[in-house]
Amino acid sequence: MKNSSKLGGMITLSLLCFLAAACIGSVAIPAKEALAVIAQRLFGISLLRDVEPLTQTIVWDLRLARASLAFLVGASLAVSGTVMQSVLRNPLASSYTLGVSSGASLGAALIIISGFSLPIVGAFTLPLAGLLTGLLTVYLAVAMASRVDKGFSGNTIVLTGMVFTLFVNALLTLVAYFFPNRTRHILLWQMGSFALKDWGTVRVLLPIAIVGLLFLMRYARELDMLTFGEEQAAVMGVETRRVKWILMFLAAALTGSAVSFAGVIGFIDLISPHVVRRWVGAAHRWVLPLSALFGGSFMVLADIVARTVISPTELPVGAITALLGGPFFLYVYFQKRRRY
Amino acid sequence: MLTLDQVYCGYDSEDVIRNVSFRVKEGDILCLLGPNGCGKTTLLKAIAGLLPYKGHLRWLGQEIHTLKRNQLAAGIALMSQISETYFEYSVYDTVMLGRYLHGKKGFLPSISDEDRVMVRKALEEVELWREREHPITQLSGGQLQRVFLARTFVQEPKLILLDEPTNHLDLKYQLELMERLSVWSKQPGRAVIGVFHDLNLAMQFAEKVIILDQGQVVLQGPTGQVLQDSMISKVFDVDVLNYMQSSLKKWLPPLEGNDSR
Repeated sequence: MKNSSKLGGMITLSLLCFLAAACIGSVAIPAKEALAVIAQRLFGISLLRDVEPLTQTIVWDLRLARASLAFLVGASLAVSGTVMQSVLRNPLASSYTLGVSSGASLGAALIIISGFSLPIVGAFTLPLAGLLTGLLTVYLAVAMASRVDKGFSGNTIVLTGMVFTLFVNALLTLVAYFFPNRTRHILLWQMGSFALKDWGTVRVLLPIAIVGLLFLMRYARELDMLTFGEEQAAVMGVETRRVKWILMFLAAALTGSAVSFAGVIGFIDLISPHVVRRWVGAAHRWVLPLSALFGGSFMVLADIVARTVISPTELPVGAITALLGGPFFLYVYFQKRRRY
Repeated sequence: MLTLDQVYCGYDSEDVIRNVSFRVKEGDILCLLGPNGCGKTTLLKAIAGLLPYKGHLRWLGQEIHTLKRNQLAAGIALMSQISETYFEYSVYDTVMLGRYLHGKKGFLPSISDEDRVMVRKALEEVELWREREHPITQLSGGQLQRVFLARTFVQEPKLILLDEPTNHLDLKYQLELMERLSVWSKQPGRAVIGVFHDLNLAMQFAEKVIILDQGQVVLQGPTGQVLQDSMISKVFDVDVLNYMQSSLKKWLPPLEGNDSR
């Protein structure tokens, strides 16, 4: 099968995930009605006459808003993981390795304990603080690595990132220890959830995700070359140092934004690029969009499970991604390997 | 094309290459020889703009450190020793990366028909067109070497730097590679600098040889003049004549009348 057909297939699968998210829940909604609501809201076409207002609210305002946010977060994390693995030439690397999530968690924890709120952004103070502290941690880790190692090699960056992650985690532990009455709130934020998210959140994350993905697609060939090593990329004409900074910033910004809205959700960024590379090869012009679609769809499915499996109680979606993703990843990885 | 004038370079402020000067002209096939650790690869990296240097290293009259990476890559390509890759690129995609500088200019990268023609031609030349969809992680060392060679050709450089290109290649492909480089370098505005371990290949194809020892040029000139037994013995610390004679004695049948039995 050609990669363009695979891309088409993955887009169809993603749309089906959205439909599933609209239909499945504590109140089951027939697909026909869900499609009618979507057609009405998106294109102003009336497919069915008698769709109840409550059904419309459930499908559009609750489930699809939530599914859209889950999709954007999953897509951002997956794309970010793809970029980090390629830039650092390390199949286990992710933005988390560089301290994005621990930095964002610390920033969020400080906002939670202080109750601080910025005048204009209001409710978005928490995600904004998460994003900025996440980015700051990555910046410090990468800047430190580039000072220590003038060659700016992947291993130095990974090692420095891990040291920063441990350091920031220690600060986070201290914050949780000294403010025990806020520990549960901090812990819940770290577990990740899409509960009570609306279209307002989607509208903030959507442009960030689209712009991030487009710019990363622009650097698809540079990403390809960097996976062969910096020297090889440089002799083919890539300004490796500048390009690495840009790519790491974009990847960290995508993860930081995703984490800041939904909390820390692991595993998607690690497994999506691996699964997609097994399917379409390593060229980033295919891996980037397909990782985004795979990561997004996977997150939508994980969120459906998280909110339905012991309904009305919700499970943390981060736990579901790891529980579903672990065995699935092993299946895909070893299934393909056996063929060789 | 390329001028080195009293060049010093190395790693972490320690000079591996010391006071090296030579020139490369159009059509040259220049061979760098020397024992392990003498600085051959370091010198190639400096010429490719990958290492800082002292002295003057000029490409078409301009100091290499003043050129941007794309300007340098438009003129000089380096085929280094095989590097490990973790990702399953197809043979075709790997060679296509060599067209980076020639690709269509636009916000998103795209591949032109000319790129496709060039890649196909290069893959046919290295006899890997049929394997174009294979992942490079499944290739043998020799096949991978040919993939990187094809990528170097599609980059359309003027100077090709080769770091032990015949490693992993069997005899057939070694000879074909050298023939191809020979033909390639004879077109206007082109030259080759190669690090070879095989002295026979060097003698057969290189017109000029530079012998390095401990980072310094100990001898340079036309191949026939430089590659004398005495010089090889001195630089590589082996008694070439004695070695060759004992090898011949081992494998050749004894001449009639000389049998001592």
